[in-house]
Amino acid sequence: MSLAAIASKVGAGEPLSLADGLALFQHPNLVEVGALANQVRERLHGSRTYFNRNLHINPTNVCVSACKLCSFSRRSAHDAGAFVLGIDEAVGKLRARLAAGDRVTEVHIVGGLHDGLPFAYFTGLLLALKAVAPGIAIKAFSAVEIFFFHRLYGMSIEEVLRRLQSAGLDSLPGGGAEILSPRVRKAICPNKCEADEWLEVHRTAHRLGMKSNCTMLFGTVETLAERAEHLLRLRDLQAETGGFLAFIPLPFHPENNALGDKRVPTAAESLRTLAVARLLLDNVPHIKAYWVSLGLATAQTGLWFGADDFDGTVSEEKIYHQAGAQTPQALAPGEIARIIRAAGRIPVERDTFYGLASPVAGEEAV
Amino acid sequence: MKVRRLRLSAVSFLNTRPITYGIERGLVGQGRFDIQFDFPSRCAAAVESGEVDLGLMPIASYATAGEELRIVPGIAIASRGPVRTVLLLGEVPWEEMETIVLDEASRTSQVLVRLLSRERGVLPRYEPAEHDRIPQLVGGRRGGLLIGDLCFSASEHFAHVYDLGAEWTERVGLPSVNAAWIGRPDALAPGDVALLQESLALGLDHREEIARTWAEENRIEAEVCVRYLTQNIHYELGASELCGAAAFIERGYAAGLFGAKPALRFYAREARPRPPMVRAPRSLDGLLSDAAAGGRLSFDEGVRLHESASLYDLGRAADARRKSLHPHGVVTYIIDRNVNYTDACTTACQFCNFHRPPGDSRVHTLTCDELAVKLQETVDLGGIQVLLQGGINPELGLDYFEDLFRFMKANFPLAIHGLSPEEIRQLAERENLPIPAVLERLVAAGLDSVPGGGAEILDDEIRRRISPRKCSVAIWLEVMRQAHRIGLRTTATMVFGFGEQAAHLVGHLDKLRALQDETAGFTAFICWSFQAEGTKLPLRGDTSATRYLRNLALARLYLDNFPNVQVSWVTMGPAIGQVGLRFGGNDFGSAMIEENVVAQAGAVFKLSAAEIEGYVRRAGFTPRRRNMRYEWL
Repeated sequence: MSLAAIASKVGAGEPLSLADGLALFQHPNLVEVGALANQVRERLHGSRTYFNRNLHINPTNVCVSACKLCSFSRRSAHDAGAFVLGIDEAVGKLRARLAAGDRVTEVHIVGGLHDGLPFAYFTGLLLALKAVAPGIAIKAFSAVEIFFFHRLYGMSIEEVLRRLQSAGLDSLPGGGAEILSPRVRKAICPNKCEADEWLEVHRTAHRLGMKSNCTMLFGTVETLAERAEHLLRLRDLQAETGGFLAFIPLPFHPENNALGDKRVPTAAESLRTLAVARLLLDNVPHIKAYWVSLGLATAQTGLWFGADDFDGTVSEEKIYHQAGAQTPQALAPGEIARIIRAAGRIPVERDTFYGLASPVAGEEAV
Repeated sequence: MKVRRLRLSAVSFLNTRPITYGIERGLVGQGRFDIQFDFPSRCAAAVESGEVDLGLMPIASYATAGEELRIVPGIAIASRGPVRTVLLLGEVPWEEMETIVLDEASRTSQVLVRLLSRERGVLPRYEPAEHDRIPQLVGGRRGGLLIGDLCFSASEHFAHVYDLGAEWTERVGLPSVNAAWIGRPDALAPGDVALLQESLALGLDHREEIARTWAEENRIEAEVCVRYLTQNIHYELGASELCGAAAFIERGYAAGLFGAKPALRFYAREARPRPPMVRAPRSLDGLLSDAAAGGRLSFDEGVRLHESASLYDLGRAADARRKSLHPHGVVTYIIDRNVNYTDACTTACQFCNFHRPPGDSRVHTLTCDELAVKLQETVDLGGIQVLLQGGINPELGLDYFEDLFRFMKANFPLAIHGLSPEEIRQLAERENLPIPAVLERLVAAGLDSVPGGGAEILDDEIRRRISPRKCSVAIWLEVMRQAHRIGLRTTATMVFGFGEQAAHLVGHLDKLRALQDETAGFTAFICWSFQAEGTKLPLRGDTSATRYLRNLALARLYLDNFPNVQVSWVTMGPAIGQVGLRFGGNDFGSAMIEENVVAQAGAVFKLSAAEIEGYVRRAGFTPRRRNMRYEWL
């Protein structure tokens, strides 16, 4: 499939095929692929680049899943470095940010699969956070965690989601998708939920009126075809539900985990993945260049390769940093806006649902 | 005083006629020139015997002249692929030729066929023969080298025809230079160079007319002649041609065909102020497509592109320009080592993380033993060059460098790419010598080329702010001008992110372009963003990767006379380096074994040759090793 043929499909707004996706991954000229993705990005969002003020909370790093790709988890609560965050501690982190005058609009919560915590811990956490800041959006628990709750507590997926929703859950993060292929999951995360189960959690969440994100962990053992298939599975679910807000490609970081002989995907691969995702996922509104995982310079460049979202201020990122990420653990909103402007884009501060968090005067945001 | 007429000997083939057009017709320098036409070999002999003052002399004869000669800048008979009129003819393939008869009219081509035969592992007997008889002598296992217009009719009569221009360029990656105006150093009077250039300029405008007249007189197909003068032969002695000629001399010397390898030295070029470019305003798209086709941008147009063109539009135009200059899809790189001989430095630039004040107890100047270890490692790793730069250490005089270079040359097969203009300027001041004298002594001791560092932004106001003790713009340019005059090739750099405006950046490019018009001595341009020291956030508003890509693309378009643009993976990272190959870059720089200065300020990328080749391949190009001349190895 030639790039010109793909470009004419993109121009006409036709969805791309698996073969197109593969051709885009393999095309020798990264910049032409980027230019095509940029065309779509600008058609959808102009020069606007979204970010938010968020806080990351990891309730626990104890995890029964023991995925080879992970540098964050501890097998047992008794292992060195294992922790469970008390609800007060978690709330304390949010209070501290608010007390410092930081208008955080979103709490992002993901953690390990701890089999010794009561469900009430999670609902309690949500309720306590909402009590401190009723207007805040809580984006919490990846599909992997939701599925684990379903098994551990003997509730249906829907029941788990309903109960969390009534305690304050607003949306799901996109993590744990890795590559939605049985072969790859068996190799890198055999104890995690299956690809279909991951999709089912998001389908259910969308049906209950929640939005969610989706991700792809690339650079472990998957083939380019498996990457393209992964993106198309996400696109199919999106066609069914319309519930995905953003797609976030996550390059694999190899330090401190059992897949350590792998190299980090090059920034060029990250740029290409952003671009191909923008082109294949024509029904997902936003593509995020998550600066924590990509690195600032690559994320910034990614704003010309299909990405329209830079993620947020992210204080206290742990998971990627355990795996060797060299990025800072937090950025001030002004700093993010400056980085976005330096790339020749217009920063726009958003809330979780891509509403404007602060009024935008014309095109000169923030 | 009546000035004596200048006696010229020019080649009697079609390819010279554009060069002599204005002179022959009395359109330039009326009464100044007497011109005669000879075979190339005769042109050389006429200069050597003093029969004429200036000859369109084979480059091979320049190399063997045994006395110091000068080249007229800017004019050559050269090719960048098939030349059409330097042919090896045979009934059998090259590899099966036992004898090659050599056209006595030629000099450069004789060397060319010997060099290329060796490259192919063919060692035939060579026999000289008269020009006109070559076609009859070819037969059986006897091939023949034929040059000149006879090639037009002869080529179709042989089973095997090799175009030596194409053979050379495919092998070396550089143009083949056959001849140039050459004479004794004192042969020309002021104004002569300009007249010779004007004669060619007129000829270039009348190539079609020249070709058609020639075709009729010599009963050659007109279209063949037109194509020959407009596509095969190139008349510019630009930066690539100079590298091609230098590579030819070097290879000839290495093969024992020349007894010396004289540097390419030039008559002074009188600066002819170019009329300011006044053009009807062009649309942004028009500007980009003209520049992509090699058209010249004015200063104002450069500023406009910098401010208004979109990233991808700049990138596409620069990529098209890169592709027309380097159509083979090759991306080059070099294996060299960056050795910083001293960290003592008096200039104390605000952006530098490397220097220490002289006298500081931590100052370290490399000893010969330490250096020897580094150089041996370099050789062992396949390195061919050392980039030698230091601080400005007032304790080190010219004799230190002469000893150092001699020591290096005596013990290691490495080219010395060393001493930026600031270091040379300081040596001149310390020794109270003019800059050319310092350069001559360094060259005599072994200096091969000069790196283009310390240019930062060529704007005195900015320099006063960031590096007040470093040389002025005028001096930086003057050191480069003098280096080019005595045959040194140099690079040029630009570091941005000091809070400069579009006018400063374009002004920088404009100064480099003007000097390149004058000397053609720059081989490559390299830019990078200022590497902020020790901060967690090296992203300033104007040092982003997108700004880098924009500047890179703009430089590729603005520097229409620079053959090569390097990407700077050392500072920007290999991924942006790869992307840069689609924003005008055609060279991946160096597989660096050591880089102290940038490493001190936080850039820590390191790549082996194999890794570089991987990055280049994955970006869709073919990697080739090169030397400082951008000659493929």
